[in-house]
Amino acid sequence: MSALPLVRALRRPESAAAFSPEQWNVLIAMARAERLIGTLALRIGDGAVPGEVRAVLADARLDAEREARQALWEADRAAAALAPLGLRVVLLKGTAYAAAGLKAGAGRFIGDLDILVPRDSMDAVEKHLIAAGWEWVKSDPYDDAYYRQWMHELPPLIHRDRDRMIDVHHTVLPLTARQTPDAEAMIADAVPVSDGLYILSSEDRVCHAVAHMLADGDLAGGLRNLWDIYCLLGEADPAALETRAERHGLLPHVRQARRLADALYGEGRTRLTLWDRIVIARLLARDGWGRETRKGLRFAFYLRSHWLRMPPLMLARHLLTKWRKGYRPA
Amino acid sequence: MKHRVTLRIGPATFRIGSAWSGPIGELRRLYADYPAPSGGLADFTVRLEPAGLLRRWLRPSIFITGDHGLADAAPMSLAHSLLAAEMGMNLQMALGWRRHLLLHASSVEKDGRVLLMSGESGSGKSTLAAQLGERGWRLMGDEFALIDLAAGAVLPFPRLVSLKNRAIDVIAADVPAARMGPLLEGTAKGDIRHMRPRADAVARMDEGAPPALLLFPRFGHASAIRPMGQGETFMRLTQASTNYVALGEAAFAALGRFVDEVPAMAMDFPSGDEAIAMVERLWEERA
Amino acid sequence: MTVDQRYCREREGNILSRTLGDIGLLYHRPSGQTHIVISPVPEILEAMEDDSPVSVGDLLQRLSRRFDLGPQETALPKIAAHLADMAALGLIRAVA
Repeated sequence: MSALPLVRALRRPESAAAFSPEQWNVLIAMARAERLIGTLALRIGDGAVPGEVRAVLADARLDAEREARQALWEADRAAAALAPLGLRVVLLKGTAYAAAGLKAGAGRFIGDLDILVPRDSMDAVEKHLIAAGWEWVKSDPYDDAYYRQWMHELPPLIHRDRDRMIDVHHTVLPLTARQTPDAEAMIADAVPVSDGLYILSSEDRVCHAVAHMLADGDLAGGLRNLWDIYCLLGEADPAALETRAERHGLLPHVRQARRLADALYGEGRTRLTLWDRIVIARLLARDGWGRETRKGLRFAFYLRSHWLRMPPLMLARHLLTKWRKGYRPA
Repeated sequence: MKHRVTLRIGPATFRIGSAWSGPIGELRRLYADYPAPSGGLADFTVRLEPAGLLRRWLRPSIFITGDHGLADAAPMSLAHSLLAAEMGMNLQMALGWRRHLLLHASSVEKDGRVLLMSGESGSGKSTLAAQLGERGWRLMGDEFALIDLAAGAVLPFPRLVSLKNRAIDVIAADVPAARMGPLLEGTAKGDIRHMRPRADAVARMDEGAPPALLLFPRFGHASAIRPMGQGETFMRLTQASTNYVALGEAAFAALGRFVDEVPAMAMDFPSGDEAIAMVERLWEERA
Repeated sequence: MTVDQRYCREREGNILSRTLGDIGLLYHRPSGQTHIVISPVPEILEAMEDDSPVSVGDLLQRLSRRFDLGPQETALPKIAAHLADMAALGLIRAVA
């Protein structure tokens, strides 16, 4: 059993109409596990589905609406806190899609607020957020130093009253990663969405989502990320995207993402490489009870994600420190 | 998964999968008389998995998860697998239910009206509801009360009653063995024994009724009754609800209406018998 | 926040209110948060009833007509702090 039924239902929602009760159970468990239930609910709509399923999907839509509303409120609060700095606050990922009403945002699980700000404003941003009620989550000195020195963000902050997390990024990938997307260019070309808030240009949105999925991540939650990319590709100009991806050093990744998105959510006409097929196997590693399968493959991708982000010696040091503290990949 | 069962409790249907046959067998026995789920479609998936790769055989312990789970949930002993299954279902309700306002409260019905009892674990709300359920009241639920968002009625969620420590002997004396689960000794909350509600409470699990009285019981104190202001009641119930925030505006309206219409009292009591007498007296005064 | 900061009410329809016994409840739609409000918050909201922006000083004048708030030099910073808190919750909006 793999997550193919979920991928098929997203691609052709009407195909679910003939599902048996157990097929629905499987589809719903997979969609929840991949955090795609809201997206699936909006894709399927109120079509010919059993009443029990309609109730489950209605719950998911309600949750997605609340997610979007809360995410936009967090963005509004961050904008208010940072307004005195007069800089461009660029919304990333789910909040950006919701703020701009993009297809990728429809029904999407959002979670933390991610923003991109110029690197030289990080100290001021940190001060203003703390003055407005955000607090440090981690007090572990190793993690804190690691974030500040090597990652592409401040250590996460959480708001003391609202209990919501903000991740402040100054670049797109960790400084240790091999690709070096041009964050300054991304900020310069960002487009306004509301008072003081911006989102990336349509081509940069693809580059950013791809950087996260293929150059950075261990592909956990990859089906959702790939769905974002599939939706975002529809809004980007293909020629401009190639140019932009090249500038960010992400051209092979963007091309691969295009192949993967086409294979899983599109027409499936593109020729796949061996590596594409391995990535797809990893993306589909989910069974009908919502469990992850293929432990070996997942662990390989976990190691790879760290390898991609860090020079080998530092990787060894980081994994050792994490391991001593009892961290194991799930 | 290797072993599975589908159960319906009130409005919610659970698909439960397990790596072991034990908990599924217990569930089948204790839930045997519950109305069957229609068509096999589940609202939630619950999984009872081995905690760690070798744990299925080597000192097996259960990790409880499903559609909704807690990453840091402590594994449980296989000897407590029935409790694990119940906790798995509770977890789905607490984190995932959206069709009613969910209050952490027990509820019993008489004369077509509902008495709700809210409080922390150890307040006595569960034991009291179980006792009333054996004495002429219809037990609607010992843990969760579901409030209809539009009409304000209370809906039953009559899962197995989870009796703890001293309550076990008090209740088990009056209840036939066929309705009792195994004694689970030494759980994180002490000894636990499950009890199936009476047949009519199970048969009427789709039948709601309007709320009439809300009590906040507190076991182990001298008898006292204090009317509770609406502001305090509202605040306490937002804390007693696992989905108040998730439901947003609908919950604000439903809870406001509930607090406006239903009188609330704090009730301290020294013993079960005393509590039952106090409840019956309050119920008559209300009528 | 200085006393020069001006505020206006949150947009009509973004806040639902309900009175239960002796407390006021506000449901703030954009954040999905419920606020239990006690004096002076309802009084401040009432004094901002018209939709034009007011400064802290304006508001103090309006409130002083109905309530005894003591000397201006102690009342002003208190009102300013209340307004800043209310703005952080979204119950009112700071205007530039």
